[in-house]
Amino acid sequence: MLGYVTGRFRNAAILLVLASMLCFGLVVSAPGNVAVLIAELRTPGATFAQIAEIEEELGLNDPLPTRYWHWLSGVPEGDFGISYKTGEEVGAAMARRLSVTATLLGGAAIFACLFSLAMGFLGALRPHGVVDGLTRIGALIGASTPQFFLGAMLIYGFALKLGWFPTFGDNQGLRSYILPWITLGMLPGCVLSRLVRVGLEEEMTRPFALTARAKGLRRNAILFRDALPNVAPAWLTAFGAQCTAMTVGSVVVEPLFAWPGVGAMFLQGVQFRDFMVVQAGLLIFISFFILLNLAVDIAVMLLDPKLRRQGGR
Amino acid sequence: MNAVYDIRDLTVDLYTRSAAVRVVDGVSLSVAAGECLAIVGESGSGKTVMSFAPIGLMPEGVSVGLSGGAQLAGADLIGGEEAALARLRGREVAVIFQDPMTALNPARRIGSQIAEVCTLHLGLKGAAAEARALELMRLVGISDPEARLRQYPHELSGGLCQRVVIAMAIAAEPKLLIADEPTTALDVTVQAQILDLLRDLRARMGMAMILITHDIGVVANAADRVAVMYAGRLAEVGPVDQVLRAPTHPYTRALIDAIPRPEDPVGSPFRGLPGMPPQLAGPIGGCAFAPRCPRATPGCATLRPPMRAVAGTPGWQAACHHLTLAVIPKGAAA
Amino acid sequence: MTVFMKFRTALAGFPRLALWIVAGFLFLGLFGPWLVPHDPLKQNLLAAGQGPGLVHWLGTDHLGRDTFSRLIAAANTSLVGITLVLGIALIIGIGLGTLAGYRRGWTEEAIMRVTDVGLAMPSLIIALAMIGIFGTGYWNMVIALALAWWPSFCRVSRAVAVGVMNKPHIEALRVMGASPLRIFFVHLLPTTTGSVLVYATADAGGPALSIATLSFLGLGIQPPTPEWGQMLVDSLPYLEGDPRQVILPGLALTLVVVAFNFLGEAIALNRVPRPLGRRLLARRRAEAAAWGRPPTGLVTGEKA
Repeated sequence: MLGYVTGRFRNAAILLVLASMLCFGLVVSAPGNVAVLIAELRTPGATFAQIAEIEEELGLNDPLPTRYWHWLSGVPEGDFGISYKTGEEVGAAMARRLSVTATLLGGAAIFACLFSLAMGFLGALRPHGVVDGLTRIGALIGASTPQFFLGAMLIYGFALKLGWFPTFGDNQGLRSYILPWITLGMLPGCVLSRLVRVGLEEEMTRPFALTARAKGLRRNAILFRDALPNVAPAWLTAFGAQCTAMTVGSVVVEPLFAWPGVGAMFLQGVQFRDFMVVQAGLLIFISFFILLNLAVDIAVMLLDPKLRRQGGR
Repeated sequence: MNAVYDIRDLTVDLYTRSAAVRVVDGVSLSVAAGECLAIVGESGSGKTVMSFAPIGLMPEGVSVGLSGGAQLAGADLIGGEEAALARLRGREVAVIFQDPMTALNPARRIGSQIAEVCTLHLGLKGAAAEARALELMRLVGISDPEARLRQYPHELSGGLCQRVVIAMAIAAEPKLLIADEPTTALDVTVQAQILDLLRDLRARMGMAMILITHDIGVVANAADRVAVMYAGRLAEVGPVDQVLRAPTHPYTRALIDAIPRPEDPVGSPFRGLPGMPPQLAGPIGGCAFAPRCPRATPGCATLRPPMRAVAGTPGWQAACHHLTLAVIPKGAAA
Repeated sequence: MTVFMKFRTALAGFPRLALWIVAGFLFLGLFGPWLVPHDPLKQNLLAAGQGPGLVHWLGTDHLGRDTFSRLIAAANTSLVGITLVLGIALIIGIGLGTLAGYRRGWTEEAIMRVTDVGLAMPSLIIALAMIGIFGTGYWNMVIALALAWWPSFCRVSRAVAVGVMNKPHIEALRVMGASPLRIFFVHLLPTTTGSVLVYATADAGGPALSIATLSFLGLGIQPPTPEWGQMLVDSLPYLEGDPRQVILPGLALTLVVVAFNFLGEAIALNRVPRPLGRRLLARRRAEAAAWGRPPTGLVTGEKA
């Protein structure tokens, strides 16, 4: 088992390096001259001499590997360069925003997790019954509703009309977290609930479910104690994928609710073609994905008794 | 008659999307305490459905219609609610299945799966349930039970898994044990062990047993009486010695005949039966076996043969029009 | 059977309502621009912010443009966008996937590694990164999304290709002297294309949502070309006073995506048979009852 885990860590490390190369490569292939942008930022109407000066300063004339190393060595210290738009340090700005995004993602993930388990299980209690039909349609609609639309509707209904929650911002404590959490977590929650529902139904057709019935157990008990543990590995893998999707969803939800998070900053970077911000944001996101996948892989291995003993093979 | 399990004219209809199918057609049987009744037949003969349907163990989502009478330890099974049937399962009647490896839940430990039965039917909790589980494991001959408690099914061999299934089945000391081809998926050597174990437990606990199988060897080894099924109907039922040595129903005779014998010369052809069992649909007019029967006469296809006693031996019956005409088989009691 | 009847039986198992909605979307997407009552781009500030009425059936937005016409025109925008994204993604995905399944070995390894990386990344991130570097623009968006979508098609077509290659008739073709190109284009490609096309139509909701999301963020379809996500974000500042302009495009988009997803679920066939409905069950019961039961005593044979 230890071999499996260390192997996974090694893979993750390799992927991280590759990701950094990808991010770097993406930015240096950008059209246009970065030095011009910065020159304009500092002194509008810059001269060629000033531009050339900046090119030297930024090391734009160095060979690619050197530039890559120069950029990469700054990363561990949090030096992601200077934003071409605002001129402030990207690394510091991102660091400030990490906790905001973490709050958003954490709450949404927990919501999606609980929601999916509840909806999926409810439907499985009486297959093809009324509750099952309703949860199925509800999950389908929830999985098809764009997050920005859901957010807008929630704001309209619960914040503007009913006034139960603030319409934007993250500074009113728990009240300001609820709508963003639901907005971000609803779609993944619905997708996962379908997985739970279908998975449970499949598990109930397996021989061990018949054994359990022969033992005299009632259907609900079998569902919970026998079927659910077998659905867990597949659910966990899908949950990891949905968390990845939610991370990207923050790019939509944060601006909608005016939360100063990493997603919002990344979006601004994209909108203004602020390369250093895009680069940094991309690296942060991809690194998070890689680590998330790592965690899910290990968790699934721990969860499935067969994999645990065989060390993950 | 102190029958533990008694079915009379049991008829089971299966309702499918395309048609209704009569899977079991008017079967009457009984099993007494301590007795082992083997039910023999090809796949599709209805032997499994006949045993599982009355206690409500049909697969999920399958609709069946039951008629006739079925009683288990005095309790009526037909027309009962699922809740009532569930109360009987595990407590009065237990089942062991064909493939022990898949019969156990791969995500749960062995100990937990056995203890669950103890908690449910014996009211034992926690440590007491675990202790009882250990006892049961020793009873069924599982070595090193303390270690096995915490293991998962995929770590056990087929024979060991089957012992676990048996342990779960006898936990509440049921009156009837239904064994659905319990040795088919096991090695020959393990087969003998399991059959011995079952016989042992039967004697110890006075359990009645229904042994569903297609293996005549198992029947000869383990059963007291045997019932032969064909196309959802009973062909012959009687004491094992009699039926196997001198089968009266043509189908039974063909089954026994088909078994290769030591005196057969090498390279001789198999003694199979021509034709195929009928496709199950509605009830078949006349004798179900008529199309393949060497003894058949025109009347066989129109009139369904009743179960008639054979040669005056109590408990031995066969459903054939030509019983009385058949030569009394040698070796049968006069 | 005529082609029409074959088509009908093929569609028989599918939920009717979803099919109608998709058909409606396709119809409006194709012919909408010629059917709109008003010019979707024409502004009329004097008529801004109107509610539903005789002239403007669903009202007007903050610039006085007719909402109904814009919604329909947006269907066209969506349809064209989805078709382009899926089309390019399918070409790349099926091509690479079939190649991987055909050649196996090193080619397959390389292609599938890239596919795995692509699958692990959420589609929007790739699109956002590319737009962030190369700028907004219709073709930037289309290509970025196509790059996000091809990996899943690649994986499916590889699986199908591997399955086909294992079939005996491929071996026979090789023995008979069919050239590798012939096997690839005449025998493999049609099969993989067929399977993936079905899968892709079920997945069509994805690109629709992505295009709308990018437009919502101002990075996709630029005004004045109408698009549902873009219409929504344009009307967002007026949410409190005129929620209709936000609700309508959102509903239109959700409806279309629901229909596609519904079809997708139906395509992923139910593996567990569902129990009979009440009517069917009653019919079967009656059928069995008509057979009657064997007369009692006939088969109990208690006494000789």
